[in-house]
Amino acid sequence: MSQNAEKVIDHLELFRGPEYTEMLANKKCMFEDPVPAEELARVGEWTKSAEYREKNFAREALTVNPAKACQPLGAVFAALGFERTLPFVHGSQGCVAYYRSHFSRHFKEPTSAVSSSMTEDAAVFGGLNNMIDGLANSFSLYKPKMIAVSTTCMAEVIGDDLNAFIKNAKEKQSVPQDLDVPFAHTPAFVGSHVTGYDNALKGIIEHFWDGKAGTAPKLERQPDGKLNFIGGFDGYTVGNLREIKRLFDLMGVEYTILGDNSDVWDTPGDGQFRMYDGGTTLEDAANAIHANATISMQEFCTEKTLDVIEGHGQEVIAFNHPVGVEATDRLLMEVSRLTGKPIPAAIAKERGRLIDAIADSSAHIHGKKFALYGDPDLTLGLAGFLLELGAEPVHILSTNGGKEWKEKAEVLLAGSPFGKGCHVYPGKDLWHMRSLLFTEPVDFLIGNTYGKFLERDTKTPLIRIGFPIFDRHHHHRYPVWGYQGGLNVLVTILDKIFDHIDQNTNVVAKNDYSFDIIR
Amino acid sequence: MSTLSAKVQSLFDEPGCATNQAKPDKDRKKGCNKLLAPGAAAGGCAFDGAKIALQPITDAAHLVHGPINCEGHSWDGRGSKSSGPLLYRTSFTTAITEQDIIFGGEKHLYKAIKEVVEKYNPAAVFVYQTCVPAMIGDDIEAVCKAAAMKLGKPVIPVNVPGFAGSKNLGNKLAGEALLDHVIGTEEPAETTPYDINIIGEYNLSGELWQVKPLLDELGIRILACISGDARYHEVARSHRARAAMMVCSKAMINVARKMEDRYGIPFFEGSFYGIGDMSDALRKISQLLVDRGAPAELLGRTEAVIAREEARAWQRIAPFKERLAGKRVLLFTGGVKSWSVVAALQEAGLVIIGTSTKKSTPDDKERIKELVKDDAHMFDDLKPREMYKMLKEARADIMLSGGRTQFVALKAKMPWLDINQERHHAYAGYEGMVALVSEIDKALSSPIWEQIRRPAPWEFAVDRGELQLHIA
Repeated sequence: MSQNAEKVIDHLELFRGPEYTEMLANKKCMFEDPVPAEELARVGEWTKSAEYREKNFAREALTVNPAKACQPLGAVFAALGFERTLPFVHGSQGCVAYYRSHFSRHFKEPTSAVSSSMTEDAAVFGGLNNMIDGLANSFSLYKPKMIAVSTTCMAEVIGDDLNAFIKNAKEKQSVPQDLDVPFAHTPAFVGSHVTGYDNALKGIIEHFWDGKAGTAPKLERQPDGKLNFIGGFDGYTVGNLREIKRLFDLMGVEYTILGDNSDVWDTPGDGQFRMYDGGTTLEDAANAIHANATISMQEFCTEKTLDVIEGHGQEVIAFNHPVGVEATDRLLMEVSRLTGKPIPAAIAKERGRLIDAIADSSAHIHGKKFALYGDPDLTLGLAGFLLELGAEPVHILSTNGGKEWKEKAEVLLAGSPFGKGCHVYPGKDLWHMRSLLFTEPVDFLIGNTYGKFLERDTKTPLIRIGFPIFDRHHHHRYPVWGYQGGLNVLVTILDKIFDHIDQNTNVVAKNDYSFDIIR
Repeated sequence: MSTLSAKVQSLFDEPGCATNQAKPDKDRKKGCNKLLAPGAAAGGCAFDGAKIALQPITDAAHLVHGPINCEGHSWDGRGSKSSGPLLYRTSFTTAITEQDIIFGGEKHLYKAIKEVVEKYNPAAVFVYQTCVPAMIGDDIEAVCKAAAMKLGKPVIPVNVPGFAGSKNLGNKLAGEALLDHVIGTEEPAETTPYDINIIGEYNLSGELWQVKPLLDELGIRILACISGDARYHEVARSHRARAAMMVCSKAMINVARKMEDRYGIPFFEGSFYGIGDMSDALRKISQLLVDRGAPAELLGRTEAVIAREEARAWQRIAPFKERLAGKRVLLFTGGVKSWSVVAALQEAGLVIIGTSTKKSTPDDKERIKELVKDDAHMFDDLKPREMYKMLKEARADIMLSGGRTQFVALKAKMPWLDINQERHHAYAGYEGMVALVSEIDKALSSPIWEQIRRPAPWEFAVDRGELQLHIA
C-alpha cells in the first residue's frame, strides 16, 4: 500500500514497503538495462582489491570526496573572531551561502557573512560597483564595527584589486573613511580553508599594525610582556578557546587571543539575537603588536601570519594542534617560558587526572589500529595522542597536507615504536582512503562527518573528530586542547570502541552472550 | 533464623576443608565466620556469594526477594557466559517497599514467583532471601514450597541474608541449596562411563568453552557444570556422574564432598589455569573415570591430546618468552588462582615477586611455596595502604589482580592486568594461557606506564636545577 492520507509515512519507512520495493525492482529490470547482479557484485568486490587500489592511486585529474574546503571559508572563520566584524566576501553570493550553512550545520548557530553578489555584468566589467554598493549596504544594514573583505574565485579570475576597490569605495562614501576594512585575496583554486584563514588573519593584522592601508601611521612596537594566542581554523574553537583562557587565567598570563570565535558560535538562547558576540576587540588586535611573543596552535593555518608577526620583532612559536599529555606539556612549558609564569599545582593536578584516565582505559586502545584524516595540524596532533595511548596509526591522510606536512608526520611516527608501519598520504582524498581501508584494514577510522560513507562501505567504525561534524551535535563545545581536552578525546575514542563491542554482541539469541553490562 | 544458623554451623564443620579440620574441636564448632571489623573495608555478603554461585544456571529465573539495592547492584555483574538461554541475565526482584515491611512480604513474593513462572516459563525459579525480609520474618522456604506445589515448577529457596556472613559463606550456602533442593531430583536419560561434573567453575568470559572441546575430543561428557553455562535439569541430574573436578575449592567444597558422601562420586581439586595444571586436570579426570570403570585406553588418548596441546601452546608462547623473561609480577588474587596462576606465569618466563594468599587454604599455600621457592613473599591480608606502599617500593613490572585492587595499582603507577571475574579475556586452558601471556605483554608495553612514572616535565626541569620558574 502506498501513501495514505490517514497515516503518511516519512522517507525512512516509505520505500521499504513491498509495493515500492517491487516497483523499483521492476523499473530497474525493465527500463534501466541493468548489468547482471553478479557482474555488479563482481565489480563492487573489485573496487576493494589491491589491483583497484593501484589504479585508484594512479588517478591524476579526478578528485573524489576531498577532505578539504576552500580559502574563503577560512577567511570567514578568521573574520568572525573579531569584535562586531562582518565577513564580506567579494564574489558570487552562492559561495557565501555555502560558508554560512557549512558553519551553521557544524556549530548549530547562525553565521553572519555577506557577499558582493557579483553577476555576469560584474564578471565582464569588473566588480567595483558591487564592492561600492555592497560595502554601503552591509554597513547600513548590519552596523558592523569592521568589515573584513575576502574573495571568491570569481573575483580572483577577473583580477579585482581589493586594495584599490576599497579605497575607491571609501572615496565614494560607501562607508566612513575611518571604518576598518581589512582585506585578503583568497582564491579557492589555491590552498584550502587553512590557507584562507592564514591570509585573512594576516590581512587583519597588517591592517592594524601597518597603517591601515596607508591611511594611518604604522604602529611602533613597545614590548609589554603580553602573549598573543592564535587558535587557527578549528572545529572545536568554542570549547578550545574557553579552555585556553581558563588555563591562562590559572597561570596568571596576560594574553590576547587573536581571532576569538568562542562566543559568536555559542550564543545563549535567551530571546536575544546576537549577530555579533564576543571576539577580539579591535583595540586589542592593534595592541597585540606590543606582545613579547605569539603562539599559534596550528602551524599550517598561520604560516604567513607568523612571518608577518615575526617581522615585527616578536618571538613566534607554532604547534600542530597539540592533543594529549606530552603535547600539552610542551604548550604549557612554552607559555611558562615566554611569560615567566609558573605552571600552578591546579594544572599539574589536571595533568595527573588525564594520565590516570589513560591508565584506567589504555588496555582498550593499546594495540588498536587507526586510520586518520583531516587538516594537517589536526592529524599531527591526533596522531601524537594516538602514539601516546599505544594505539597504532596505520594510514594518515590529509587532502590539504603537503610535502612539509608529510615530513613532519614521518618524524613524529619515527619517534615511537607504535608509529612503525604507518604511512602518510598528502594530497589524497577519501576515495583513496577507501582503497586503503579495504586493502589494509584498521580497527577504527578517525575523521569528520564525511567519513561516514567510508564507515558504511568498509565497516570501519568512525570516530568523529575534525571539521565539519554535521551529524553529531555540540561536540565543538568541548575542548580537545589542554589536559581536559585530552580527556575528551580519550572518551570520544573509548565510547566508540565500547559501542562497537556492544554492536557486535547485541543480536538476541545469537551473539548476545557477550553483551555485557561491564566493559 | 534458627534453621539458617544451624545450617551455617554445620557448614563450618567441613571434613573436606583442611583449615577447618586443622582446628581443635572447640574452635571448629565456633566456625570460620570471620567477624568483620566495623568501620573497616569489607567485601561482598552471603547473598552476593550465593548469587554469583547460582546465577550461571542459565535457564532459571533468579528472583531476589528484597529491596532494590540487592538485585540493583548485582544484576549481570559477572560476565558468566551462556551457550543458550539468556534468562539468567534478566533481573527479577520483588523490590519490596515500606508497605511490605509493615505487612510482610510473603504474598508479594508469592505473586512475583507466579508472575515469573507465567510470563517466562523458566526451568526453575531460584528465590534469594536478603537481609530485610529475613529480619521481618518472611519465610521464603514456605513460600517456595507452596509456589512449587501450586505452579508445578521447581522453586528453590536460597536462604542467604547478607548478614549471615561473607561472600564465601554465601557460595557454600548456595551449594547447600542445590544439595537440598536440586541435585538428585531428576534422573538423566542415559549415563556413560565418561560422565563428569565440574564444580565451582562459572564459565566467566567463556572459559569453560576453552576446555570443553578437549573433553569432547576425549569423549568425556560434562554431565553438569556447577554452575557455569549450566541448565537447571543438568544440575538436577548431576548425581549420576562418575567423577568430579573441583575448580574453586573454597567456594563449593561442601558440594563436592557431600556428593561424594551421598552418591559416591570421587572428586579431585584442580585448575584450568596454566599449561601444567591444565594437563594435570585432564590426566586426573581420566584417571578417576578409569578408576571407576571407564576403559583404560582413555589414559593413552588423554596423554596424546596433552602432548599435542602442550606443544602447540609452547610454540605460541615462545615468541613472548623473550620479551617477558625476567619481568617481575605481583599477584593479588584469592583462593585457587594464587597458585595456579603462579605456575602459569612461570611458564611464560615471568618472575613472581609476591602473591596474596588471603583466601587460600593451607594446601594452596604449600603449593605456592613449592612453586616459588624462597624468592616470593606471600601476603595474607594486605590493607590497601600497605599494598600501595609495597607496590611503590617493590618495583615490580606488573600487578595482576581483581578489579577491587585495580585502582591501588594504578595510583601506585603500576601496570595492571585484570585476572578476576570482571575481565573480558578467557585465560583458562591451553588457549587461555596464550591469551594471558599476550595480554601481559600488551599491558607491559603500553606507553602510558612510562608516562605515568615520569614527573611532569616542568618538575624534571627543577630536578636538574634548570628553569626554576616552572614550578609553582
